[in-house]
Amino acid sequence: MAEATATGTTGTDEWQPKIVMFCCNWCSYGGADSAGMGRFQQPPTVRVIRVMCSGRMDPVFILNAFLEGADGVLFSGCHIGDCHYVNGNYKATIKYKFLKAMVNELGLEDERLKLDWISASEGERYAEVVTEFTEQIKKVGPSPLKPEGVI
Amino acid sequence: MDIGDCYVGWATDEDIRTRGASGGLVTAMLAAALEKGLVEAVVVLKKLGEFEAVPVVTSDPEEVKAAAGSMHSVPIVLSRYLDYGTKVALPAKPCDARSTLEQAKRGQVDIDTTYIVGLNCGGTMHPAVTREMLDVMYKLDPEDIEGEEIDKGKLIFETKDGEEHAIKIDELEEEGYGRRESCQYCAVNIPTMADIACGNWGVIGDLAGKGTFVEINTKKGIEILQNAIDAGAVEITPADDKGKAIRAKVDGAMMNVAAAANDKFLAPIEGSHLDYYMNALSDCINCGACKTVCPVCACGEGAKCTDFSSASDTYKMSLFHLVRFVHLMDSCIGCGQCTDVCPVDIPLTHIYQRFAVPMQEEFEYKPGMDMTTPPFFGVDLVEEGH
Repeated sequence: MAEATATGTTGTDEWQPKIVMFCCNWCSYGGADSAGMGRFQQPPTVRVIRVMCSGRMDPVFILNAFLEGADGVLFSGCHIGDCHYVNGNYKATIKYKFLKAMVNELGLEDERLKLDWISASEGERYAEVVTEFTEQIKKVGPSPLKPEGVI
Repeated sequence: MDIGDCYVGWATDEDIRTRGASGGLVTAMLAAALEKGLVEAVVVLKKLGEFEAVPVVTSDPEEVKAAAGSMHSVPIVLSRYLDYGTKVALPAKPCDARSTLEQAKRGQVDIDTTYIVGLNCGGTMHPAVTREMLDVMYKLDPEDIEGEEIDKGKLIFETKDGEEHAIKIDELEEEGYGRRESCQYCAVNIPTMADIACGNWGVIGDLAGKGTFVEINTKKGIEILQNAIDAGAVEITPADDKGKAIRAKVDGAMMNVAAAANDKFLAPIEGSHLDYYMNALSDCINCGACKTVCPVCACGEGAKCTDFSSASDTYKMSLFHLVRFVHLMDSCIGCGQCTDVCPVDIPLTHIYQRFAVPMQEEFEYKPGMDMTTPPFFGVDLVEEGH
C-alpha cells in the first residue's frame, strides 16, 4: 500500500481506496490492456481479477472481497449482446440486481458496488470508469466491513 | 369431480371420525391411498407429547390411522426423508406445501409422484415457548394440560381436572408468546398450491366440527379423493355457497391480521443497518443448523455458504450468512425453522425476510405458490428471449 500511495496520481498522502475489479477475459480485460497501450492515465487503486465471463461472477466473490477489506468492487463485462458466451452478461445483470439490493439492505453504501460494460477497444473508457469509481469511493471513505489491521 | 370443486367430507370409519379432527377425512384419505396402492408411503405426525410431534414416513395404514388428530408441527423437508420419485402422500400446511414445490423446482422432489394434502393453518406454536407460556401466563403446570383449542381469538387450555383456562391470543403475542413469529406474519392460510386443500373453515350447520371442507386444486387431488371414495373410506357432499363465503371470510380476516403483523415486524431498522446485522449475527457459532433445516436450500453438502467460509475467519460478518442472504432472496418462504433451531437465538427468519420480501415484491414472485413460475434466474432469461 505504501508504494501505491507513493505512486498515486495525486502525489500526496491522501487516502487511496482499495478496489477489486473483476474483468471478463474477452472484453474488459482487453479494455484494460488497451488503456495501458493507449497510455490513458488512471489511479492505481484497482486490483484486477480476470474471470472468463461476467456471468462467472459469483456473489461469493464480491462478498468475500468486501470482507477481505475492499473499499469498493467493480465488475465489468462485454456490452449487452456482445457476450462471447451468448448470454453471460444477462446473467450478470440478474446477479447484480440481487447483490445490489442485498448490499443496500445490509447497510453498505450504494456507491461501493458497480457493474459496467467495457469492450476490448474502449481503453479510454476503461480509464474513465476506473477514475470515476475511485473518486466515488474516496467520497464515501473506507469500508465499514474492512477487518481490523487491514489498511 | 372437477378442479375447483368444493366438498364437505368425513371418514366412514367411526373410530377415525371421532379421533380425527373435523371428521377425520384427511386420515381416512391418506390410509386409503396406502391401502389401495396409490402411494408407497405417507408422512404422518407422530405425537411425542401434548406439545410436540415429529414427522414419520410410514407404509403402514394402521400407523396413519393411529396418527389421527395430530397437531400442526413445523415444516417438513420432504426431500431429506425420501428417495426421488417415491410415490408419497404428504399432509401439509401451506408452508410445507410451498417448500415442497420449491424443492420440486430444484429437482429434489418429483412433484408428479407427490400427493400434497393441504391443511388450513392459522399458525403453529413452538413447544418450548408454549411450556414457558403456560408457566408464566397461565400459571399452569405444562404436564397438567390435556387439550388445547382456539376459539374466538382466545387460546384455551384444558387441564386434567377438566377446567378451561383462556387468554386472548393478542394479549399473549404482545408478551412475546403465542404463535411463532413467522406464523404471525404468514399470510397464506389456505394451501391453494397443494393438490387438495382441507380444513374446518366453511363447515356449517349440522356438519360443523364433524366434517372437513375440501377444495380440489389439481388432477392429483381428484385422484386421491376419488380413490378414498371408491375404497369406501370417506363420504362427501357438495359444499354450499354460504360455507364457501365463510371460509373466504376467515381467510381474509387472517390475512389482514398477518399484514398488520408484517408491518410491525418488518418495520424499517432505526439507525445503521450494518450495526443491526453485525450485532444480530455476532453470536453465531457456525453450527450450520439453519442451513440443515432450510426447506428451500437444495445445495446439499458442497454448498457455497459452507465451502467458502470457515470458523477461523476473522471477518466482521460471517460469509456463511452473507451468502445465504443472497441465496434466499428469491426463495425464502418465511417458514421460521431457522429461528426455531438456532442454538443462540438469532432471529434468522426475520433477517432473511428483510432481504427477501422487498425483492420478491419487486419481481412479483411468491415462492412455492405454483409450479409454473421458475425461480428468478429462469424467469428473466425467458423474458429476455435467451
